Amino acid sequence: MTLSTINITDRDHQIAKLSAIAIALSLVEFFFPSPIPGVKPGIANIIILYTIFKFDIRMGIWVSLIRVFVTSIILGSFLSPTFFLSLSGALLSLLSLIIFKNLNRQYFSIISLSLIASLAHIFGQFIIVRIWIIPHNGIFYLLPIFIVSAFIFGLVTAIVTNKLLQLNPKK
Amino acid sequence: MALIKKLLQSYKVIKVGDWFVILLFCALIIFSIKSLWNLPKGEYLEIYKKNEILATYSLNQKITKKINGIKGVTEIMIDNGRVRFSESPCPKKYCIHQGWINKANQMIVCIPNQISISIIGPKRGYDAINY
Repeated sequence: MTLSTINITDRDHQIAKLSAIAIALSLVEFFFPSPIPGVKPGIANIIILYTIFKFDIRMGIWVSLIRVFVTSIILGSFLSPTFFLSLSGALLSLLSLIIFKNLNRQYFSIISLSLIASLAHIFGQFIIVRIWIIPHNGIFYLLPIFIVSAFIFGLVTAIVTNKLLQLNPKK
Repeated sequence: MALIKKLLQSYKVIKVGDWFVILLFCALIIFSIKSLWNLPKGEYLEIYKKNEILATYSLNQKITKKINGIKGVTEIMIDNGRVRFSESPCPKKYCIHQGWINKANQMIVCIPNQISISIIGPKRGYDAINY
């Protein structure tokens, strides 16, 4: 019988810590009432953007997916429509970040990436809503509200993340 | 003041490409509002008394119709694409205060006199979606 050992690296510890913060922020957001139903600021995304900029995109993917799964398990919405909404949003915004991460840093800062990711998040959720949850074209009537909120919260997330990165510069 | 200073500092972070992305985003917002919030104009007017359709009129005319409800005479004014209640025997006149309607699927209801009008567009839409 072979003994299998798992080597826990510093990187794993780092992922665990960042995921814990992201999960905590998601839970805080869950218990705060939102002014418009369905519109949430997504403050956990600050941590994910921070991870991607401070470390690398692979770590950001880990933190984002761990956050989605663990938050849904804690809130009891695992495998429910809410879970798939947040998963599709997270996957599409990660995909957009993978595509656009090589944008020239001289001309594009964290703000562009945050805006692109927040837009991708909205579209990821909308695809699921349109195909599965409310299969009717009437929901496109709500799309402008979500695009405007994506713009506002994308900007806010970027500014906060930028401040965080200034406080903890890359080694 | 401190907040404004901080906002100005974050303004410095924005680079040329960011302005480009922000402008694109604003264009997307304007485009989505214009294309998605543009409801079709109505074409026909249906007048209901209780649950029955009393009459259907085209909206492309300028006439005033008098309809006998259960309390008295209601006057409905059609004016080239829009319509309103102009006279009603009801006590609170909510139906009159609602003013003109012109888009498909909009309606005005007068409960005391049991008269309601509804605009029909090219396609009949839903008044509510349950899921």
